[in-house]
Amino acid sequence: MKIATRILVLAMLLPALNWLYVHTSYKSYLFEEADQLLQVEKVANCDVVYTSASSNFSPDPWHESHKKISEFIGESNPELLIEAFNIPASHARIHTILLRRIPPSSSIRTVIATVNLRSFGADWQNSILETPLNKKNVMYADRPPLLNRFLVSLNFYDNKSDLERENIKLDLWAQTTLPLERVKSNVIDWCAEEKWGDWTNPKRQLADQFIKQYAFVLDESNATVHEFDAMIEICKERNWKLIMHILPENIEKADSLVGSDLTDLMVQNATWLERRFIGKGATVINNVDLLPSSCFTDKDFPTEHYNEVGRRSIASSFSNKLKTD
Amino acid sequence: MVFNSLPFLIFFPTIILLYYVLPHRYRWLLLLLASYFFYGFWKVEYLSLIVFSTVVDFYVARYLNQSDVQARRRLALSFSLFSNLGLLFFFKYSNWFMNDVLHPISFISDGNLHFWNSNWNFLLPVGISFYTFQTISYTIDVYYRRITPETNPFKFALFVSFFPQLVAGPIERFSHLNHQLFKRVDFDYANIQNGARLMLYGLFIKMCVADNIAPIVDQIFDSQDEASTQQLWAGMGLFGIQIYSDFHGYSLIAIGAARMLGIKLMDNFNAPYASLSIREFWTRWHISLSSWFRDYLFIPLGGSRVNWLRFGVNILIVFILSGLWHGANWTFIMWGAIHGFYYLIERWTGFSSMKSNAMKPIQWITTMLVVFIAWVFFRSPDIASGLDYISGLLYFHKGSLLLDWNVLLISFIGLFMLSDLAFSNGKISDWLDSKSFVSRWIVYALMIYSIMAFSGTVNHPFIYFQF
Repeated sequence: MKIATRILVLAMLLPALNWLYVHTSYKSYLFEEADQLLQVEKVANCDVVYTSASSNFSPDPWHESHKKISEFIGESNPELLIEAFNIPASHARIHTILLRRIPPSSSIRTVIATVNLRSFGADWQNSILETPLNKKNVMYADRPPLLNRFLVSLNFYDNKSDLERENIKLDLWAQTTLPLERVKSNVIDWCAEEKWGDWTNPKRQLADQFIKQYAFVLDESNATVHEFDAMIEICKERNWKLIMHILPENIEKADSLVGSDLTDLMVQNATWLERRFIGKGATVINNVDLLPSSCFTDKDFPTEHYNEVGRRSIASSFSNKLKTD
Repeated sequence: MVFNSLPFLIFFPTIILLYYVLPHRYRWLLLLLASYFFYGFWKVEYLSLIVFSTVVDFYVARYLNQSDVQARRRLALSFSLFSNLGLLFFFKYSNWFMNDVLHPISFISDGNLHFWNSNWNFLLPVGISFYTFQTISYTIDVYYRRITPETNPFKFALFVSFFPQLVAGPIERFSHLNHQLFKRVDFDYANIQNGARLMLYGLFIKMCVADNIAPIVDQIFDSQDEASTQQLWAGMGLFGIQIYSDFHGYSLIAIGAARMLGIKLMDNFNAPYASLSIREFWTRWHISLSSWFRDYLFIPLGGSRVNWLRFGVNILIVFILSGLWHGANWTFIMWGAIHGFYYLIERWTGFSSMKSNAMKPIQWITTMLVVFIAWVFFRSPDIASGLDYISGLLYFHKGSLLLDWNVLLISFIGLFMLSDLAFSNGKISDWLDSKSFVSRWIVYALMIYSIMAFSGTVNHPFIYFQF
């Protein structure tokens, strides 16, 4: 009886403590540690949601407009209110969790999902940024906020160390076979090919990064593919139109540094994704080879950061799609 | 499995429920399975090390009990010590020994060292120092015929692996723990209440105090060149509080968990920062380890019944090995040596024996200075960094380090230190008993709320797990 009474008191206490937390510290914690959830309210009242990692908002800082791709799309479609989830290094899983938090009563009609080819590769999937992103995800889950905060302090997320992630990545690069000649049969062997001399040569370093980011063959077992499937499901549930945008990659640079073996893989993977997502009922814009190398702002690492010309070109391919559809 | 994790918060109530539902004769089996699950949840292959220690010490102890031939008994004891300490050395000290001892004196070549480092890069088995010392004490006690050995290997396996104290102590003695594991325990509300209180308070000081201090301490020690004099002093003090709240918190959770099962573990701390001498400090800090070293090393070495020189050597051996027990690094040896030397200074000058009230503040200040300066070496990655840190304490300089202090953290620290002095030795339960139901639940609610809303969020395992 004594224990039953205590359990009852505890059961009444926890909702009260949750109420206290929501009305005192919750917002400030979100602001400091998991601020994307605060964007959900803003996004809920728009027509189109644009979900992306840094590709939307990483212009060349020195000499051009800082407008985002989503803003350029908005300029071409003034009748539509477009808002964006911009989360550096994020991917479909995080975007899907945030989309789930949008109230069913929202005015959203269309979701634009950016599909970043690199996010399907071992390097991105096992990035050291995953642990902090996973930690934020705990706060995004649809549970009482105090419970979420408690779960963060209990490390209730995939919190592998940097070393563990690095080892997983190295294993995948060594063990995943590529359908190429023997010296390129996996990422490690391919990188070992000394086309540009030794490690001190910047071209060698960049060529290796291209191989590490794009040398994979997509299939149904890829974890990121399933994350996009979950996004397709939530869009179907909410009756939102989903546009999957396969982002432009620096194919020109990849070709000049590594060669057609790699660019063929990149294009094949993009085409595979296009077919698959269309088959699942999504609209797909495949822009993988849209931009020349000059539109990519980062010169020492393969990224999806574009200059103004690039961002405008992407937006124009998009807005046309929005209009015609 | 760690105590401050969701799996444990599901695992432990389940075990408690099953424990009191099951008939008495099956309970120890449940605890054995639970203990192996608890350890294997972290890394199942390392269970084999516990099994190995268990098997070796079970059979050695039985042989020691049966044999009357002293030479054979000594050989059997040596075999047990060699097996246990050999495993401990291999997993905990071999890398350090190769890299920091043999290689610097050119006993091992660069090529061989590279081969060693490439092929013997393994994870330290959690808690290996704790359960190894527990099994060693068992075998030595049987050797000296202080105890009768266990006859059931599975029951002995439970003594070695009892989950609340398996990975970070308290290091229990067979004579104190074993009979409790198998005695009939009727459900007693007081046990549940007292145990739960200790666990709650332990979680509070681990998660709200230690885990919130940890990022600041890390920042200061990792960027000590950029820290001001005041920040270095603060970092030293905060690390002392961090390690205490971390380890004391863990011990309280362990003691509380065992109490809920009707088992009383020994106290591990008793307000150590109230000590007036190093000698007193070691009767209040990590009591189960210091009493282990006293009983199984210091006394066999001759204890204090030897001449002053031998006594000094004995003390230094004990303190240096105690430092080395904590980890494979010269910094831990330095930490132990500082304690050992100051212990001898206190003893030989009679400083700690001065009883006048006027001397107490001076004794307390000097003791704390020594304890906290020694912590600098304990926390530093190497001796040179520790010496740099200490030299930074001694002259005034400005720094460029920005620290994220907040009122809440300072309040938690203040509350912890005050409650530690007021309710030392886990007596918070007695204090709560004297309060009304409403007052008690206000305290519980505040602790639960603090744990849920304000715990540290940087992933910091219990510091003593690495030992």
